[in-house]
Amino acid sequence: MAFGQTIISGKVLDEKGISLPGANVFIKGSFDGTSSDASGAFSFESSESGDQLLVVSMMGFKSQEFPITLSQSKIEIPSIKLIEEFNEMNTVTISAGAMEASDEKKSVILRPIDIVTTPSAMGDIVGAFQTLPGTSTVGNDGRLFVRGGDASEVGIYIDGMRVGNAYGTTAGNVPTRTRFNPNLFKGTFFSTGGYSAEYGQALSSTLALNTKDLAKRSQGDLSIMSVGGGYSHTLANEKRSISISGNIFDLKPYQALIKQNFDWERAPFGRDVELAAQQKTSKGGLWKVLARTESGGMQLWQPQPGMPDRGLLIDLKNTYSYAQTNWRRGFENGWSLFGGISFSQNKDILNLGGLDLERKNQLSHAKWTAGYDFSDRLAVKNGVEYFRNDYSEVLTQESLERSFGENQGFLFTEWDWYLSRKLVLRSGLRAGISSLAEEKWLDPRTSLAYKISKNGTLSFATGRFHQLPEERFRILAPSLKNTESKHLILNYLYQKDGKTFRAEAFHKSYDHLVRFEGIHQNPRNVRNEGDGFARGFDVFFRDRESLKNTDYWITYSFVDSKRSYFQYIGQVQPDFAPKHNLSVVVKHFVPSLKSQLGLSWSFNDGLAYTDPNLTGEMNSKTGMFQNLSLSWSYLPQPNLIIHGAITNVTGHQNIFGYQYAQNPNEQGRFESLPLGQGAPRFLFLGIFFTLSKDKNANNLNNL
Amino acid sequence: MMKSSATQTANKWDFTNQARFHVALKKIKLYHMKKYLFTFALSLMWITLAFASDPAYENAMKKQISSMNTIQSSEQSQTVANGFIRIAEAKSEEWLPLYYAAYIKATAAFRFEVNKDQYFDQAMELVNKAEKIAPNNSEITALKGFVIMGKLSVDPMSRGQEMSPLAMQTFGKAIALDKENPRATTLMAQMELGMSQFFGSGPDKACGLARVGLELFSKEEAKVTENYILPTWGKREAVQVANACK
Repeated sequence: MAFGQTIISGKVLDEKGISLPGANVFIKGSFDGTSSDASGAFSFESSESGDQLLVVSMMGFKSQEFPITLSQSKIEIPSIKLIEEFNEMNTVTISAGAMEASDEKKSVILRPIDIVTTPSAMGDIVGAFQTLPGTSTVGNDGRLFVRGGDASEVGIYIDGMRVGNAYGTTAGNVPTRTRFNPNLFKGTFFSTGGYSAEYGQALSSTLALNTKDLAKRSQGDLSIMSVGGGYSHTLANEKRSISISGNIFDLKPYQALIKQNFDWERAPFGRDVELAAQQKTSKGGLWKVLARTESGGMQLWQPQPGMPDRGLLIDLKNTYSYAQTNWRRGFENGWSLFGGISFSQNKDILNLGGLDLERKNQLSHAKWTAGYDFSDRLAVKNGVEYFRNDYSEVLTQESLERSFGENQGFLFTEWDWYLSRKLVLRSGLRAGISSLAEEKWLDPRTSLAYKISKNGTLSFATGRFHQLPEERFRILAPSLKNTESKHLILNYLYQKDGKTFRAEAFHKSYDHLVRFEGIHQNPRNVRNEGDGFARGFDVFFRDRESLKNTDYWITYSFVDSKRSYFQYIGQVQPDFAPKHNLSVVVKHFVPSLKSQLGLSWSFNDGLAYTDPNLTGEMNSKTGMFQNLSLSWSYLPQPNLIIHGAITNVTGHQNIFGYQYAQNPNEQGRFESLPLGQGAPRFLFLGIFFTLSKDKNANNLNNL
Repeated sequence: MMKSSATQTANKWDFTNQARFHVALKKIKLYHMKKYLFTFALSLMWITLAFASDPAYENAMKKQISSMNTIQSSEQSQTVANGFIRIAEAKSEEWLPLYYAAYIKATAAFRFEVNKDQYFDQAMELVNKAEKIAPNNSEITALKGFVIMGKLSVDPMSRGQEMSPLAMQTFGKAIALDKENPRATTLMAQMELGMSQFFGSGPDKACGLARVGLELFSKEEAKVTENYILPTWGKREAVQVANACK
């Protein structure tokens, strides 16, 4: 051994005392060092002398430094314990109620591309979520129904900002769609209960859509579809990007070719213009703008029971605008800030069998949040929100108008505390105030997750949720208070090698639900008197690995729900909450055909309805619902996609309920008409072409 | 007349001793006068740079590079990557040790039974550190694309849409930064080959790139001496793509 050299040896262990191989051990500022071996032991020579720092480091662990004096020939450090850093990969994630669609996160249930490749969804965001646990398909509505809750109980957000009138306006029994195109979003967060204090005014569920960051390249996307067409142009550089798109759709040519069950006077049509812009601001901030305006309409004859002719002509025109901007930035010192404002305006001009009605709704939302990481174990997020909601209804011929304006304010705080890598506790509090309801309220929320095995997590969530009644009721009774629900959720999630198993049991109680007297079209004495519950469980299994080029998932949801609501006096099973819900989605890629084939099948055991010829409320149930959809996406060349899809291939006669005459006929019976489907099947064919310098670009997301 | 930093640094190591300098001078004499003078002036600059170099650093790098070429297991890869990280810690102004550490992490993820996502993420972290030291460096950018390609390969079905254009774009940037970088061209050729196999569109573009890549590799080989510590990997990949064209 050369003169002045010191041998430094020792052992590196993890916090449990298990030997840690591959740790980097060295004298700071020199090249002298080594790695720990399989038993965690290390030994190296250093020619440095005097007071030095010995550094022990390993990626994913907190580095440690030890002052040592290199004067003797041997230094032995018996045990060095390295502590693993907490990061997303090695710590537990709360999965109760939550389902993420993202490319990055580990607790992902659905990927963004699944939204556009699920055959039954027909490119509708909500259509894809209807194949997930906790949801029910209500085929003649199209909106999202979660665990015995009605569609208004789902709050929809874009980049954390609430979206007013997220679904297109439609006539009764004609299913609607989400207004926003799935290709705007990079990820979604869907919760079927027990969600964060950041979200409120939703009794059952939140659907949070996150828009894409900077576009990767400049390109033009052209789509030609059996129901319309559109063009989108994107300009991008490393700092900013902007895309502008315009679309038109008109079902008239389609309906001329394919026989419809509905009696259309004018097939649904519409056009939209959309702008999305992203800009990187200095030092890692990101600023986004999204704006959209659209208009459309339809005219439909709705047959009435007991009337021999075509029935009632419904004429509907809709204009809708949405704009929002938001800014976010993370700071190296642990702070993260977000600010956003959004505005939506919906206007419906309706003529219902000669009665002119105009409906207008405006929603503004401003939000500011500040998050701070105290350490990798403790983080907080605080926020303040303000809403302004204006709603009006005008009977044009009678020049009768009624309206209300409302201010709401919210404060929330939420704390994430990692007690260990295996155990996390999230506690939040949300406070709200409404000027119209003259009410203040407080919602506590808590969830807990524990990693019980390498791939398994058990989570629990509970909380209270408030929601003010729908505008159509508040305009009749402005003093209506919040409706309320409480959630209790137990979840088990297992994820390994492309396989996901998820099981969840829940109990939800409802209080202060809206009830009224009279009929749905003309409610009287509207009040917060209803209550009820929903309980059940759901299971989900997804496997992307076992079968080559195949990805499939199976979902079963059981919901036992009863509530006293609307005109119903006793607690009944709501007409939007089937008990048994099953769906299967299979996607198979065939390389030789350059094609992805898709299949989705959904089933429920039928919807409850009231037959006035029998005694009691909700005394009957429709037949089971079934929908088998198939799709074929063909990529003949990188920038061209041809996509075809067909719903209800088997032509199953789905009935969603019955419309009864208001008065009995001469025999004393209430005549009825079934509420069925607009057509036995729906066919879609689209060609999507991308123009770009990069010939491999395609607009797969537009499917 | 500014060459990209990679080429500049590359040439620096050709002239670390007098003997080599003379050999180089003899070669240079073959060029006509104007070019000779110009190159000579540049060479003098390189000599100054060469004298400013740190032999301890150089030796440490050479030692690690030779052990890098003998890696047979993920444990060995960890040991060698650690060696480079130690050099990076001691010489915080050098991007090359971080580059090699990242390269080892990425290749280990491709070669061995490890947590691939974790390895690629660590590789990316190291690439980002190197990029902070040397922004707009063609080699680092090409390696970044290589890591993105690795992330993509973990789950091509769901990451392809997002990451394949990103990888292409990154390789494109690496080529734009230095057209002589054989790795940038070769990696682009690999991506192109994958795309053409998927779409059955014929590998012409990939083959062309691989040919260019191979030419650039022979040019690079001419520069390589025993003191050369800049990246030289990638020829095998270029040959593989070229073979697929036959």
